[in-house]
Amino acid sequence: MKSFLESQLVGPLAAMILVTVIVALTTERFLDANNLGNLTLQVSIVALTAIGSTIVIFTAGIDLSPGSAIALLTMVFAVTVKFWAVPFGLAVVFILLLGAFLGAINGFLTAYMRIPAFITTLAALSAFRGMAFMFNKGSPVFSVSRLLDPLFYGKVLGIPLPLYYVVFFYALAALLMRYTRLGRQIYAVGGNPSAARLSGIDVKRVQLFAFIIAGFMAAVGALLMAARLNSGSPNYGVGLELKAIAAAVIGGASLFGGRGNVLSTLIGALTITIVQNGLNLNAVPTSIQNVVIGLIIVIAVAIDMWREEISLIFQRLIPSRNP
Amino acid sequence: MERTGEPIWELIDIIKDFPGVRANDKVSIKLYPSEIHGLVGENGSGKSTLTKTLSGAHQPDSGEIRLYGELIRLDNPIVARHHGIATVFQEFSLVPTLTVAENIYLGQLPTRPGVPIVDWKKMREGAVGILAGLEIGIDPEVIVGNLPVAEQQLVEIAKAISADASMIILDEPTTALGIAEIEHLHGLLRRMKQQGRAILYVSHRLDEVVEIVDVVTILKDSRVVSTAEESKIEIEYIVGKMVGEEIKEHYPKVTNTSDTPILEVRDMWSEYRVNGVSFSLLHGEVFGLGGVLGSGRTEIARALFGIDPLTRGQIRLNDRLVEFHSPQDAIRAGLAFVPENRKFDGLFFNFQGRQNITIANLRALLHNGLLDLGKERNVSLSYIDRLQITPDADRKFVNFLSGGNQQKVIIARWLYSGADVFILDEPTQGLDIGAKIAVYNLINKITAQNKAVIFISSDHDELLAMSDRIGVVRSGKIVDIVDAKKLDKTELVRSSSGGS
Repeated sequence: MKSFLESQLVGPLAAMILVTVIVALTTERFLDANNLGNLTLQVSIVALTAIGSTIVIFTAGIDLSPGSAIALLTMVFAVTVKFWAVPFGLAVVFILLLGAFLGAINGFLTAYMRIPAFITTLAALSAFRGMAFMFNKGSPVFSVSRLLDPLFYGKVLGIPLPLYYVVFFYALAALLMRYTRLGRQIYAVGGNPSAARLSGIDVKRVQLFAFIIAGFMAAVGALLMAARLNSGSPNYGVGLELKAIAAAVIGGASLFGGRGNVLSTLIGALTITIVQNGLNLNAVPTSIQNVVIGLIIVIAVAIDMWREEISLIFQRLIPSRNP
Repeated sequence: MERTGEPIWELIDIIKDFPGVRANDKVSIKLYPSEIHGLVGENGSGKSTLTKTLSGAHQPDSGEIRLYGELIRLDNPIVARHHGIATVFQEFSLVPTLTVAENIYLGQLPTRPGVPIVDWKKMREGAVGILAGLEIGIDPEVIVGNLPVAEQQLVEIAKAISADASMIILDEPTTALGIAEIEHLHGLLRRMKQQGRAILYVSHRLDEVVEIVDVVTILKDSRVVSTAEESKIEIEYIVGKMVGEEIKEHYPKVTNTSDTPILEVRDMWSEYRVNGVSFSLLHGEVFGLGGVLGSGRTEIARALFGIDPLTRGQIRLNDRLVEFHSPQDAIRAGLAFVPENRKFDGLFFNFQGRQNITIANLRALLHNGLLDLGKERNVSLSYIDRLQITPDADRKFVNFLSGGNQQKVIIARWLYSGADVFILDEPTQGLDIGAKIAVYNLINKITAQNKAVIFISSDHDELLAMSDRIGVVRSGKIVDIVDAKKLDKTELVRSSSGGS
């Protein structure tokens, strides 16, 4: 019972179920098969990007840049495939590597140049977006490649491909965090960097790796983003970093670092997507939607900050047997 | 001990319950003016609860509090302060970026008459007066963060008693202090006592307690086991009462030293106060580093462990020249470092005991490139068993463990890493007697395996008893190396403070 209560999945899961029930009761078209299919497509880009945001947060860092990185990467991808006639497969690999490289820049500046992650990635948020506008005179590139659509709209066994990507990458991330040395070191660095260093962990290298993972996952998100409308655009991904961070925090990742479960980030991503979907179906304007997402982030972070007090309240409710 | 006159404060039959635990069970204590009253007991014996009751932070569930015989309620710390109770807590409450004077007057800044503007002149003069009254020679204009920790502690005290306090409570005031500073603090306490104030002195360091207090009340399991009138001011008596049994061997030293060196340090310099250190460490030996606060003992440890880069010098490990550019290098070569501050530098509070034990040697858990979590569990349970750590430690987050268990978890980490040379920096700080003895036994266990220990401690009795040889550190240099058996405490104090 105790481990069930302590389990990090319970809170986020309860929140998601609550949100789902509310949306389902207030919106008749929500449970429509079409809408649910859309929902899985909508959630995939946020969910995949959020894996990287979560891992950076585990190291007590923050990544504000994936939205802009995605815009830049879709533009580079579109231009290389359409105008420079780079083979499709090669371009995909190149984008994934470029994403990792963008992450490495963030990581290098944060870990080795000791610039706070918040500042580094805020700068990157601006710079990557700016670079995205340097391609194709700042105009979107449409009809990139016929090979692109199936990446997003393809189905296997009747299930859309993005769902497979989500399952694959979350499984991989869970494996990384639970069963690898790097995963454990990421938690250690986030929990206590000084103790981590004295335990023989190369703290800077671990931080660098976390950002590389984040950049790579942004590239995965970028490929899906490009495939969705078969295009690249410097306007893609605006505000995506906030949704990704919100997904992590709703999932229970502590912004202080060291605590959280990457799988619950998926629950977090689903939660915000469902909220947004519900608002969409009820024709709530985007402006209000943005306010709602802001509120959700504040509430989730408040829960993180008050975690100790909240757990104290729980301890009082459940009297301890052995003092 | 006989006491005459009227007590200022009297706590009578105080009972305080917390969920699931009775922290004070009919505790009574009388506090007289011009008296330093020691309050001792193991961790969890109820000392803090009692001091918090007297400082108004806790309300007793039953019992009486009397001031000059009159029944009184201390509803909150502000009321207690108004009645002349000043409390100096273990944790600092100073703002490091403000001056000494600003800190002393924090929360009660003097203003110009009629306008809400700070009267800086009045504040400065007031601070000068307070500091002079306590004979503390610190400039009130200095930024607190630039002062050494020991002087910060004095400012903390000055701040607490800036109000006209008749009763001063000190909770573990010497944790951060070295010998000279403790002397200074004790001088200060004696002066305050002469001014007619009552002082309640809570401490783990019994050698200091017996030196400074007039009477002592001993708590065990939430009750008074020896009142101020009964207690003898002797370490053996106090320890016996605290632990509830006769402790035969306070320092269970086992000598395992050999004559082959494991580590040889020659002319080691670093940029951080290590100025030409040379010594050798033998297999099975405990080499103590003695010296005052700031003498460079911790810096020697840091330089050895690859934290601070060497600017000169040689380190030979098992007759091979080694160079450590980072703690990683040092750990790989077989060094271990138990840092002075286990909360900031040692423990991962986001991990359970299990992951805290294995973190320095994850490589050994790899199986086909992945962590073998089943093996990790076995490793954890086996060290918990061998080191007699509480069995819960395996699955409990380490902030829920006692200080002694936390320290054992860190030592287990280094035993699992396969270290041969253990650097222990103040490993018993803040631990109660039982936990200290457990750490001493672990030191014996380490040396029995032919491994060696570099032991840094400000507790001179402990250092003398547990070391085989002692290096006296002064200004970043080992000025003398002596056989611990041939040294006594006064000599050690004298040579480490630079006297001849």
